Amino acid sequence: MVTRRDLGKIGLAAGFAGTFTRPAWAESAADIAVKAAQQYKGQTISIVWEAGLQSLDPLNFSGPKWKELTGIDVKVVEVPVAEMFTKIMQDFRSGAGAYDALNVIPAWMPDLANAGALEVLDPFVDKYAYRDELQKIAPTYRDNQMMVNGKIYGFPDDGDVFVMYYRKDVLGDPALQAAYKEKFGQDLPVPPTTWKDFDQVGAFITEFTGGKTFGAAFFRESGYGNFMFQERFRTEGGKFFDGETMKATINSDAGVKVFTDWLAENKFGPPGVEQWGFVENLAGFLQGQTAMTVSWPPYGRWAASYGTDQEVMSWVPKSTIAGKVGYAMPPGGHPELAAGFCLSVSSGSKNKEAAYLFIQWLNSEAVSLERVKLPYALRDPFRDSHFTDPGYLALWPDAKDYLAALQAGANNGLLDLSLLQTDKYEEVLRQSVSKLWAGEDPKAILDAAAGEWDAITEKIGVDKQKAVYADWAAKSGAYPKM
Amino acid sequence: MAAATALRANPDRNFRYWLLTPAIFLLLLVGLFPLFYSLAVSFMRIDMMDTDTSFAGLYNYGNLFKDKRLWEALGHTLLITVIALPIELLLGLAMAYLFLEKMPGRQIFVSLLVLPTIISPIVAGATWRLLFDNRFGPINQILGWFAGHPVTALWTINPRLVYPAIIFCEIWQWTPFMFLILLAALSNVDRSQTEAAAIDGAGFSRTFLRIVLPAIWPVMAIAILIRGLDLVRIFDIIWALTSGGPGTMTETISVYTYAQGFKQFETSYTAAIAFLVIVILTVVVTWAIRRMGLAK
Repeated sequence: MVTRRDLGKIGLAAGFAGTFTRPAWAESAADIAVKAAQQYKGQTISIVWEAGLQSLDPLNFSGPKWKELTGIDVKVVEVPVAEMFTKIMQDFRSGAGAYDALNVIPAWMPDLANAGALEVLDPFVDKYAYRDELQKIAPTYRDNQMMVNGKIYGFPDDGDVFVMYYRKDVLGDPALQAAYKEKFGQDLPVPPTTWKDFDQVGAFITEFTGGKTFGAAFFRESGYGNFMFQERFRTEGGKFFDGETMKATINSDAGVKVFTDWLAENKFGPPGVEQWGFVENLAGFLQGQTAMTVSWPPYGRWAASYGTDQEVMSWVPKSTIAGKVGYAMPPGGHPELAAGFCLSVSSGSKNKEAAYLFIQWLNSEAVSLERVKLPYALRDPFRDSHFTDPGYLALWPDAKDYLAALQAGANNGLLDLSLLQTDKYEEVLRQSVSKLWAGEDPKAILDAAAGEWDAITEKIGVDKQKAVYADWAAKSGAYPKM
Repeated sequence: MAAATALRANPDRNFRYWLLTPAIFLLLLVGLFPLFYSLAVSFMRIDMMDTDTSFAGLYNYGNLFKDKRLWEALGHTLLITVIALPIELLLGLAMAYLFLEKMPGRQIFVSLLVLPTIISPIVAGATWRLLFDNRFGPINQILGWFAGHPVTALWTINPRLVYPAIIFCEIWQWTPFMFLILLAALSNVDRSQTEAAAIDGAGFSRTFLRIVLPAIWPVMAIAILIRGLDLVRIFDIIWALTSGGPGTMTETISVYTYAQGFKQFETSYTAAIAFLVIVILTVVVTWAIRRMGLAK
């Protein structure tokens, strides 16, 4: 009997056969990288990769394949995401040159590039004819997450975007819909497209089911809350700074409304939702305890049970809702392009060329397509071709809707704030979210946060930061087009 | 011949110092060099995000006094220390008394009681985080059985619960250390003196205060000092349980120093904080050693 895993292997084999047996006149970026890299046979390159599931890609798939094709060993340096920036900077500042290739969160790129930790990739891109394929990366990622000061420092390699997941069977329940109409005098919106509707529907579901199914749950743990705040604040019309004075404006009415609404939403969410992070929220949704949530793309795949039969995925709760999940933009229609990853080359690398060729190969159209389809991978579609790939569309019955939601997210997504020393600003937001759950007043929290942001800006230099902010704010995904 | 005899009679007086040189050099290298280097760094402007490494004079030390979060962190550290230390001491002493007499299975019980001390603090913190978890943790579930309804206490978020949770973990892990040390000390108290006191009609408290406490005091003082210093440096359990949150409500001086150094990359300022802590601890420990009579 042919299992899904066998089918996957056949698909991968066919994909690579197609990729690497093309005639010379149609050489792909992957072919070019492989051929050029063969001169480095016997060498070892190291790449910093997020520890955990993310690393299974280079450990189980791309690393061994690269070795087979080029004879170059890939040493995967697994680092928890919270320590990646520190490790990269420490390696750069110490001059150790321990890392050749890097995974970099796009919001870090200005800091790393300005510090000199990243190699400018333009000369390599031209030398190895990669510009055409780079252009096929979805515009949001390509135009916003690749360059600093007009130079390429990384290849967008992960289409991280928040998607709203909702239970079609719950929201579509005729009894629930009738009761909703009776109470509010309007049809239950499926799915809700504004936060006002979302909150009303969420509260009603909890009330209607008596808490058997909660209306919604979210990431509330402060690390994730930072991303949620950035999205919600901007969809409510908020701006992070006054562009003229660089004074923080997160304590505006929009910010206070977000925090106040969050407190109200927790009341119709599961008890203790304030503590929920990625796994708790996932478990709640997959086990049918919550009707709506907002999260990264893997939720959608796992809710459909795609890939969860793999041993490495045994920690993912078994989905009880496969086939019942709808995919949509989060209310407001502008999802956060939360985190994501770019592939870069360390400026301190002693194997820059080989490292570059590896990331070109990884990021190429052919290879990236296989990587985003790996059942255990956390890399999400980021190229136009990924969203329309027939193989991906056939992975589960609703994959078409899923990919459409991801593509819509990519087209309308909001970039993470990216300034000089971004993490300092984000840390203030993380602490603010944490204070909110501790019961402090939203306005007081945000006033204090704005003060801390101003102090950070002053320390970095108002004019210096103003220029970086202006550059970021001019990007298409910085603020929603109202 | 005469020279050889003289050499045998007067071997190089400095030879013994030459033998000590490698060890002293090593000690200086691994001990004093980092200390002096950190001191030098604290007077500079080093920040991992910037290339400016110029001399900053007392700038970083001046900032220490304006840094409200730093003093709050010191306050949190002090709060945990003054609550956890006496409880650990009293519980450890009570347990030591309990296990002083021979009883069946004593060795096994003692070994089991000491187990928490063997566990790495970060592992202990992570374990307790799971135990306290609102959704998957058994503590709320057990409390729910007693309460007769589901309990959803947010142990690591609720401001009223977060310190009890931290202090409980700390006491759970380190009371056995006190217990073990005090058990050894109590075992060495001269039985003939306590028996004589009993014959003379002295009660437990009088015997304890006049005979046992003076006898075990040097050991107890050392245990208090070690645990006190450990508590001032507390990091792992806090980091695993709350990461200093909610907000900065449970941020101790070690957590704050880590955050400044490795999350905010303020290298020079972090070095200044480290030296402030060294100064404070030196003063406190010197005072404590004198006060406890350990300097005699």
